Amino acid sequence: MEIKCDFSSEFVIPISYGSTEVIETGKWGFQKPETAFMTARCQEACPAGINIPQFLYLANEGKPDEALLTILKENPFPGICGRVCFHPCEADCNRADYDESVSIHAMERYVSHAASNHLPDLKPMWNKDSKKVAIVGAGPAGLSCAYFLALTGHQVTIFEAKKEPGGVMRWGIPEYRLPKSVLKREIQRIFHLPIEIKTGIQVGKALSFDELKRYDAVFLSPGAGLSVPLSIEGEDLKWILRGGDFLERINSRDKAILGKETIVIGGGNTAMDVARSVLRLGSKVTVAYRRTRGEMPAIQDEIVEAEEEGARFEFLIQPIKIGLLKNKRLAVKFQRMKLSGLDQSNRPKAIPIKGKFLTLETDHLITAVGERVDLSWIPQDLIKNGLIDVNPFHKIFSGGDAVDQPRTIVTAISSGKRAAISIDLRLRGESLDKVFSKIKVGNKGSVSMEDYILGRNEGEWSEPKSIISYQQINTLYFEHSKRMEMRKLDRNKALRSFSEVNMGFTSDEAKISASRCFSCGTCNYCYNCYFFCPEGVILLDPLHQTKTVDLEHCKGCGTCAKVCPRYVVLMKELS
Amino acid sequence: MREFMTGNHAVAHAVKLCRTPLIAAYPITPQTPIYEKLSEWEASGELKGIMMRTESEHSAMASCIAASLTGVRTFTATSSQGLALMHEMLHFAAGCRTPVVMANVNRLLAAPWGFWADQLDSLSQRDTGWIQFYCENGQEALDTVIQSYKIAEQVYLPAMLSLEAFFVSHFMEVVDLPEQEQVDRFLPPLDLLHKFDIDKPGFFVPVVSSELYRKYKHMAQGSMDSAKEIATRVDQEFKKEFGRGYGIVEPFMVDDAETVMVTAGSITSTARVAVRALREEGHRIGLLKLRLFRPFPVEALQQALRGKKKIAVIDRNISLGGGGIFCQELRAALVHSSDHPLIYSYIAGIGGTDVTPEVIQKIAMDAMNRFEPFDQPIWVMED
Repeated sequence: MEIKCDFSSEFVIPISYGSTEVIETGKWGFQKPETAFMTARCQEACPAGINIPQFLYLANEGKPDEALLTILKENPFPGICGRVCFHPCEADCNRADYDESVSIHAMERYVSHAASNHLPDLKPMWNKDSKKVAIVGAGPAGLSCAYFLALTGHQVTIFEAKKEPGGVMRWGIPEYRLPKSVLKREIQRIFHLPIEIKTGIQVGKALSFDELKRYDAVFLSPGAGLSVPLSIEGEDLKWILRGGDFLERINSRDKAILGKETIVIGGGNTAMDVARSVLRLGSKVTVAYRRTRGEMPAIQDEIVEAEEEGARFEFLIQPIKIGLLKNKRLAVKFQRMKLSGLDQSNRPKAIPIKGKFLTLETDHLITAVGERVDLSWIPQDLIKNGLIDVNPFHKIFSGGDAVDQPRTIVTAISSGKRAAISIDLRLRGESLDKVFSKIKVGNKGSVSMEDYILGRNEGEWSEPKSIISYQQINTLYFEHSKRMEMRKLDRNKALRSFSEVNMGFTSDEAKISASRCFSCGTCNYCYNCYFFCPEGVILLDPLHQTKTVDLEHCKGCGTCAKVCPRYVVLMKELS
Repeated sequence: MREFMTGNHAVAHAVKLCRTPLIAAYPITPQTPIYEKLSEWEASGELKGIMMRTESEHSAMASCIAASLTGVRTFTATSSQGLALMHEMLHFAAGCRTPVVMANVNRLLAAPWGFWADQLDSLSQRDTGWIQFYCENGQEALDTVIQSYKIAEQVYLPAMLSLEAFFVSHFMEVVDLPEQEQVDRFLPPLDLLHKFDIDKPGFFVPVVSSELYRKYKHMAQGSMDSAKEIATRVDQEFKKEFGRGYGIVEPFMVDDAETVMVTAGSITSTARVAVRALREEGHRIGLLKLRLFRPFPVEALQQALRGKKKIAVIDRNISLGGGGIFCQELRAALVHSSDHPLIYSYIAGIGGTDVTPEVIQKIAMDAMNRFEPFDQPIWVMED
């Protein structure tokens, strides 16, 4: 400052040409902002623990390749899950409490296609203790386990009984839900890694169980491939097909000819796949289920689509006898049922209404009343209640539909990942419980491979993040909007072939969908903190994903914490 | 050009004549007609300037300060509560050495509520560093606006002129409106030395050390002192150009007076009538009009009242516990006088009560019949 004493001089008031930055106003504060990343509810609900806010952020930024990579860190099959997953993430989406959930399922599918390179640069880490692992079954669980083990640098050999890998994804799900071209591309990604597969090899026949034990570790994921019979009179008539076999033929593009009418027994995903395939073969279909619509175990989307496509439903009836009529049609006698009490799994129990029956005539009948595991080749001590149950201290691990867990693709993927991590830890002699408690994503059983590898490289794992609730979101900054729904193939057209029904998002629809994500607990560079900071001490760099606060000038007013829509900034008192 | 108009409109005309490009104001009775007239002219384009309609008087003054620092002539007008609200900014304006001119319509301060003439509002702000004038009528108010700009822009201190509610603000009288050329000749464009410079950006009035603050205040005091001389000179220049002058104090029949009354504002014109009447009756009574209040014209007053032994100051204000403010200031100015005059304090017109020639005669008689010092203010109230 230049000062002259004479009052008639040029400078009658002080003017500073320096900067007020020299005043360290940061010293005036008693609290400072801290970035507090948390886990979103959708991440917790996803059995694969995918970092959903992160992938949606990248998709919204027009970076599908990076978005794909985010998913691939936790789930090797985004193209498949984006089509057939039951999307528990959407049920727990915080946005659903505000208006409607984000279209996460459709976005996963979109990203898997929009990425220019579906074989991103995933390299196995260098592992000086690389071991040999055998995997039985190349379904979603086995392939996932192989994928994650290969990324960890182990040498994997898969033994698959059928001629091609894929398991239920290949043989169970019809093409109108999952085209073979997509499946092929997704599996190609697995074998881009150094994984050995031997197809047409059945353990117990071409290979003994003992030979498996020569590997350093074994993962059993043979799936549940045997159809459960009805165990009623007339079941062996040739017009009665097993659902699993039927779908296998459909998925092998074998000719299957049905009459004008078909009855499908069952209420699960297999029953829905069968019913909708039947419609496409030109036959009318009636789905008979012993409980009501509310108890059907199938994915809701599948039930709705079956209904929309014209499947008829008969509830509270159970087949008790099948007879052949003179005109070569079947007469199926059903017992009428009612709901009373709860069964062992706490679901409403169906009991017969004495003396009440119903007979339906049909050309074909297809059963879809459950699948069981082929345990013929499994040692007795690994079996419990018709499922594989391994001793936690052996080198044998198991997962997928063959073990006691919900039978969905994503749950199978999750079990493959958990097994891969367990195997790696066991082979290194480390404690499973301790590590799993650190790498968990929420409290519903999901784990993060990314966190596992991070901790593995650093020699220690950090504490898991807490889950963010809807109450912690500042919804003031969001306008209400409806979620986008995928366009579907015209119904009439859809029923004439096995072309894929769901058509995915356009890039505009994807952008709108991705932008609806609250990004709970993850900074998505909305710049609210920056705009509202009265001191201008916040610096954001989305390119390098960094945020810095100039603590020398931050007075700890707490405005940034209040205006953060997603609870990522918390004020911490200085000691 | 002679026109018949209210004191408020006379002020508005002066602002327009001074080519003031930025007015920031908030309406308040009885100032509103100034605000409305200027608004009207802004809308029609007659006033080539911008009116900022701020959310409060505090903001109005803040806006004037900032605008002034960009180097433009600014104006605002207010009254009573509004003036009180901008108190903090009044200090700031003086501290920033901005030549803002403000017209204040003297109105009583709440509580209780009222709207009528009382000088306490502007007198409460006597310490804020503003030049202060008290105007007797609409013509003087108009003229003082023009003079204020010239003085303020030389001294670099803000100036306020006060005109009483209703007695001056709303009374209509014949006013001589100067020609634009005359005003242009008299008032050169503003050339502020310390204005914002976008080529050399700086932070105006930052935190300074105690010593530096003292230095700036000392400089400001020097400037304020020089305003006495500059105000006198400007008034003489004004007289030369416009044919009217007022001085900073105006003696009336003081030469041979034994008792001199001191008034400010519209009471002065009533007092002139009363003094003439008393003179007819043979009393040797005189009147001194106090026009410039800040800086307090100590020398001019000492000179005008030399030899006078009895002075009666009429205050249309009361500083509770302190008495009439004009009287306080006058007593301080004459404390060293070898005449040791008896200075009596009369409180009249509080809350806009009428000060008639009879009231003033009463005051004069009362003063003339006192011979002992009396410190307390004497309230003049009708029974």
